[in-house]
Amino acid sequence: MLKTLIINGAYYLNTSKSYQKRKNFFYNLLENDKYAYKHYVDILMITLIFISVAVLIREVKYPVDDAFLFFSTYIISIIFFIEYVLRLWVFSSVSSTIVAQAEHDTFLNNEVRLLKAFKSIVKRKFSYIFSVRAIIDLLAILPFFHELRLLRIFILFRVFKLFRYAKSFQTLASVLAIKKFEFITLAIFSSIVVFISSVLIYVMEANNEASPINTLFDAIYWSIVTISTVGYGDVTPITPEGRLVAMIVITIGIAVLAFTTSLVVSAFTEKLDEIKEVKIITDVSKLYDFYLICGYEDVARELVKKLKKKQRNIVVLDEDEKRVALAQSDGVIALNYNPANVESYKKLNIDIKKQVKSILCLREDDVENVYTALTVRSIDKDVFILSLLMNGLNRKKLKFAGVDNIVYPQELVGLITKELIGKPVAFEVIHQLRSEDTNVNIDEIAVTSRIAQNFPHLGMLGNKNFRVIVLGIYKSSVDKFYFNPIDSTVLQSGDYILVVGYKVFIEEFENHLLSRFDYE
Amino acid sequence: MSKKTALIFGFNQYSSEIAINVKDKYDNIELYSLDEKNCNDSKCKVEYFDLSDEWSHIEKSVDVKNSIAFCVLEDTAKNIFLTISLRAYFSDLHIIAIASNKESANKLLMAGASKVVPIVETTAEIIANMLELPISNKVLHSILFEESALKIAQIEVTVKSDIKDEKLLDVDWTKYQGIIVLSIMHEDMSSEFIYSSKAKHHIVKEGDTLVVVGYENDIKKFRKNIRSE
Repeated sequence: MLKTLIINGAYYLNTSKSYQKRKNFFYNLLENDKYAYKHYVDILMITLIFISVAVLIREVKYPVDDAFLFFSTYIISIIFFIEYVLRLWVFSSVSSTIVAQAEHDTFLNNEVRLLKAFKSIVKRKFSYIFSVRAIIDLLAILPFFHELRLLRIFILFRVFKLFRYAKSFQTLASVLAIKKFEFITLAIFSSIVVFISSVLIYVMEANNEASPINTLFDAIYWSIVTISTVGYGDVTPITPEGRLVAMIVITIGIAVLAFTTSLVVSAFTEKLDEIKEVKIITDVSKLYDFYLICGYEDVARELVKKLKKKQRNIVVLDEDEKRVALAQSDGVIALNYNPANVESYKKLNIDIKKQVKSILCLREDDVENVYTALTVRSIDKDVFILSLLMNGLNRKKLKFAGVDNIVYPQELVGLITKELIGKPVAFEVIHQLRSEDTNVNIDEIAVTSRIAQNFPHLGMLGNKNFRVIVLGIYKSSVDKFYFNPIDSTVLQSGDYILVVGYKVFIEEFENHLLSRFDYE
Repeated sequence: MSKKTALIFGFNQYSSEIAINVKDKYDNIELYSLDEKNCNDSKCKVEYFDLSDEWSHIEKSVDVKNSIAFCVLEDTAKNIFLTISLRAYFSDLHIIAIASNKESANKLLMAGASKVVPIVETTAEIIANMLELPISNKVLHSILFEESALKIAQIEVTVKSDIKDEKLLDVDWTKYQGIIVLSIMHEDMSSEFIYSSKAKHHIVKEGDTLVVVGYENDIKKFRKNIRSE
């Protein structure tokens, strides 16, 4: 009976959308670095940590307001406790484990072994409870029992919690971790030197009444202070034998210090590229509405200049290190990853559907562009893909690979020359309108509901006052462009007004449309 | 007998695209290749040339003033050398050259090309427009390159034109229904946007060219009115 109830409950939770939604929300809030609100939770926790440490320091010599003490001792502890429980909850799914076990056993026509499922659940949960981070979290809750004065010192464990919230600490730890073996060797060597020198100095000095080294503890203290090159000078050997030991320890101390410094520096040097890459990947994962340029050659470079002028977000992927370096020197986020490899997108944690505006396959090599387009299409069916075509014979292949728009420079040259010899002036005018480098431009103004409400008819726009020509209106509802429409044309939200004029005047005109107050 | 000819120097995909697009405008298309192999293997007639050529044979068979030369060699240095060589021989020949970038475009202009198409910049510009201004790009592309009902036309002001000697600012364009005047080009080939302060005070003269956008019939009517035909 109880068994059935548990299994049914697990199935219910596993399929309950509201339960999964809530669990997912808390998981994102606590563990998902890409989740926008996690950042605020981290800031809140860091603030709470600093408040409790500030109260602890103040309390040493001065009286602290009861409200502050109550807040630091109880409220913060309760918040940390809730955080601990939530982390434990989202770490693994109890219901999923029970459901998996039930399905496995049912499939094999066996009785459902709930005990095995519970063992697995407990094992998973304990693996979290005994992790260093969870232990620190738990210790940070202990000041709740502040009547036990010793436990108050556990407030300092709250400081260790900073490791969880500040990425730089984690980076530092990961950098030093790569030299773990060297640091352990150094620690063993230093311990042996401290031990030998402490014993030696104790033997040499302890029987001399004038010497400040009377106990083994004094000897160890002196040895550590000396080997670390701190040298307070409060405890010094006075016998010639003792001073000889001191000279040796000082020399070793310098070597130990130099070795430690070089270890830290070399660890950072070795990890520098990786740290930079991790930083870029983190930045990219937070970027939205960006153009993903696959391949950084001449056309891509020129396009980047134009898109940067419009302050668009751009990410470049290229498998060639030199081209990546060139893109980086051009001030673009560029990563040395093969854009034609699905793994690259997984490693970079790019959600094409949510983050990418368009994929631009700009290698001057049709084979690479086809390969990249196919890869992207296999990940996302809807994203807009534009590709360069270098050989007209490959047009169909690019289309087949799922490219939405193909740009074939050779064909463009053909069309341009046709217009150049047919209508040179008209060509020049349109070229200038398209070019970013001229003052007169063509632009698209999106009609918002506010604009449509304030300017119901085209004739009300007042474009002539801004020396702006309205070339036409694109009605998205019917997907049609109306050239030179009459003044009584009704404006609707979602329409686009195509205007020609000086950049500055177009901007002023757009501001005029957007800033006009609603009619009463 | 000399013919109105398009001379295309270079045998590659650019030259074939150019040949397809200009064949209706010229009596004759002449393709030249630096590689003798192309001259033998190609299905169409391709003549061999080298950069030390004397161009006298072209001078004899081609109406140079009404002809055009396209320099589309893929090697930039050779393309510049070809342009300079053609310009040195034919001062009146209209030369259009392709360049990979702005730097070689400037060199080609210095070498005497009448017009240079910088491929990389042009391609990038078109891609940027496709991405950022998709609607206007579609409209402009169809006006320029496709058989759309909407056309762009250049109309020269004649001696009989009713807007001749009028201040551009005072012309009531609204009476010419269905068309939009974008700019005016003066006799010295400099063009001005219709709303620029310089153009506003300009007095329309014979020889000025108006650049207008409109449907074919409206342009015809406008042309008739302007020229007082």
